[in-house]
Amino acid sequence: MSEFGFHLAFWSLAAMTIGGASMIMVSRNLIHAVVWLVLSMLGVAGLYLTLSADFIAVVQVLIYVGAISVLMLFAIMLTPRAERDNSSSLKTAGPAGVVVIMVMIATFWVAIDTDWGSVREAALTDQARLIGESLIKHYILPFEIGAVLLTAALVGAIALAREDDEDAAVHAASLQAELDGREFDPVDVVDPPLPAVLTAELPAEPESEART
Amino acid sequence: MTELAGLSGILGAWYDFRDLNNLQRLITEWIADWGPDWLASIVTGLLGALGILGVIGPTLLVLIWVERKVIARFQQRYGPNRVGPKGLLQPVADAVKLILKEQLAPRAADKLIFFLPPVLIFIPGILIWGVLPFGPRMSVADLNVGVLFLLAVSGTAVLVIFMAGWSSNNKYALLGAMRAVAMSISYEVPMVLALLTLVVFSGTMSINGIVEWQQQEDVIFILLFPLTALVFFFAASAELNRTPADISEAESEIVAGYHTEYSGMRFGLFYAVELGNTLVVSGFIATFFLGGWWMWGLDEWVPSWIILLAKTGAVYFLLIWTRGTLPRLRVDQLMSLCWKALVPATLLFVVVAFVQRTLLISEGWDTTIALPIMAVINIGLSLGAIMLFARVARPADLRRPARIRMAGAEIGGLRAARSVAARSEEPQFQVGGD
Amino acid sequence: MIIGLEHYLVLGAILFCIGFFIALSKKNAVGVLIGVELMLNAVNLTLVAFSRFSTTEIALSTQVFVVFIIAVAAAEVAVGLALALVVYRNRQTISVDRTTLLKG
Repeated sequence: MSEFGFHLAFWSLAAMTIGGASMIMVSRNLIHAVVWLVLSMLGVAGLYLTLSADFIAVVQVLIYVGAISVLMLFAIMLTPRAERDNSSSLKTAGPAGVVVIMVMIATFWVAIDTDWGSVREAALTDQARLIGESLIKHYILPFEIGAVLLTAALVGAIALAREDDEDAAVHAASLQAELDGREFDPVDVVDPPLPAVLTAELPAEPESEART
Repeated sequence: MTELAGLSGILGAWYDFRDLNNLQRLITEWIADWGPDWLASIVTGLLGALGILGVIGPTLLVLIWVERKVIARFQQRYGPNRVGPKGLLQPVADAVKLILKEQLAPRAADKLIFFLPPVLIFIPGILIWGVLPFGPRMSVADLNVGVLFLLAVSGTAVLVIFMAGWSSNNKYALLGAMRAVAMSISYEVPMVLALLTLVVFSGTMSINGIVEWQQQEDVIFILLFPLTALVFFFAASAELNRTPADISEAESEIVAGYHTEYSGMRFGLFYAVELGNTLVVSGFIATFFLGGWWMWGLDEWVPSWIILLAKTGAVYFLLIWTRGTLPRLRVDQLMSLCWKALVPATLLFVVVAFVQRTLLISEGWDTTIALPIMAVINIGLSLGAIMLFARVARPADLRRPARIRMAGAEIGGLRAARSVAARSEEPQFQVGGD
Repeated sequence: MIIGLEHYLVLGAILFCIGFFIALSKKNAVGVLIGVELMLNAVNLTLVAFSRFSTTEIALSTQVFVVFIIAVAAAEVAVGLALALVVYRNRQTISVDRTTLLKG
């Protein structure tokens, strides 16, 4: 690719990535934030293409845009009465900003000052086959561990997200409370307050039955 | 001009309609002669995109008419027959009406996200055409990760549908969008597994490579993996929201699903992309399972893209057929069909493909003898799996009910109402129990 | 000016810092997860840049590493969002500064 086309691609994709990421910081709505995240991810996928890593780029779109963002939207939709705002908490934003600026200075300094000794050889061709072969040959143990990790995550996520009877009762009670306009405390359902019969003051015992 | 003539003599003349790629290559090489090379690459991309748009735009107008006519024949009525000869101009009249209609937006809609989806939905709809091979060298981009590209691009459309449904601020739109998202991420699993079978067996992820493998081995994949082809067909029609699986825009339940609030040409764009996707998915089914542009030597006599279009038309007719004859499935039935029937079936054939591929490669079996035997074995296995599913292993919620029952009686019907009433009367806790 | 390794490294650093800030400062659990995803993407971008500007052998192993990171990110998001759902079910909120049961 010629130099002009490469410059055009790099700077526009960089603007797309950083712009999308910054809009996540700014936007007040969580769903908007996820949409900006998708824009940023697509920018990163395009940057992979400029680095001639086409397999990684396609995997990036497949996993991040097709799966992870949809998963996030599902999580947002399944928590209907939680806050939808995406604001930063003022207490932590200040210290976080200081830490982040320090990290930024350090990483910039390392990135620019170090002599990386970069060489520019011809890019890998047929990466899908090469990556697949080295996954099976050299990295077979990490590959298996990764498979186990994904299975464990799958089972763990299902086990966590499953709604048992108690959860269903809490859910139903919270809906009812909202209909009635009452304050709702989930603890009341899981561990209900003792009935009036038990908590009422016991009548004073008659004197006559005293034994002594 | 003499140089150009010499060049075209080597690579095929520009007027050679058997391979339309020649024309494009001629133009780009002519630009590269006098212009910078970035201009040539941009013009190549533009030519591909314009070629696709120029072909599918008019095709869609005809397809709307074809689909309405065929559906009408299935339902024993005439279909459109007023505007133009045999009603051929009906789609044009509809398009004009849609363009002239007022564009409404709900007051409570999320404005930015509401206006974007009709435009954004076009991006995957066009990109997906890029990897469809019309001939040996005739695809806009013959990627060596073509299959993954196909899956990645079709996955992004889900997000756009969600944006449309959520931003409308309408309960039907949101329900439709959630149904569409849940369905398409579920049906992606059997689709990926079906494609994995082909990738494992042919040893390439390039879509053109898969066609060339079929040409080289003189066999089409539907003979080798019939059940996988069936599953892919059904999963694709579910991804397209077509009638056996169109719960995300079921008119009788949720108005029009995620595009309920879109009026005028905004709705028209959704509709056009949906039709275009149906066409391209028929093309991919033809490519993966029916041999694409190749047909036992016929492709030397007939232009390869005409063969592909003929096969695409056949698959498209099948899609219309299923739409015209099959009733709509319920949400829970669709999900349980996907997870309890389609996924195990495709998984079985992924394992079968692994074993057979190993036999072919490592044991060095002769493909001319081994492939027919494997085809017979696989057809037998497919029939066995279908019989097993129909007779023994069918999950309870897919079984035909013994008596007529109210749809979703447990979910929203009378019984549910009664049980709620009963629950609210019974005490929340028991005094002195265990 | 030729676009070299340093351009991609600085871009990765900016993306990492934005993600870091989001992960540290957002109130919503999903927002925090978005920040973590951005950080992982920045790391991936850096690795792919290194793989392009190095010898072929190193390039391949770097790309394999990126594939592993993407797999781990997918697992992390699935479990993280399931945790958010559980928290929501018990507390009716997924705000990280309102889930303070352990504070006493």
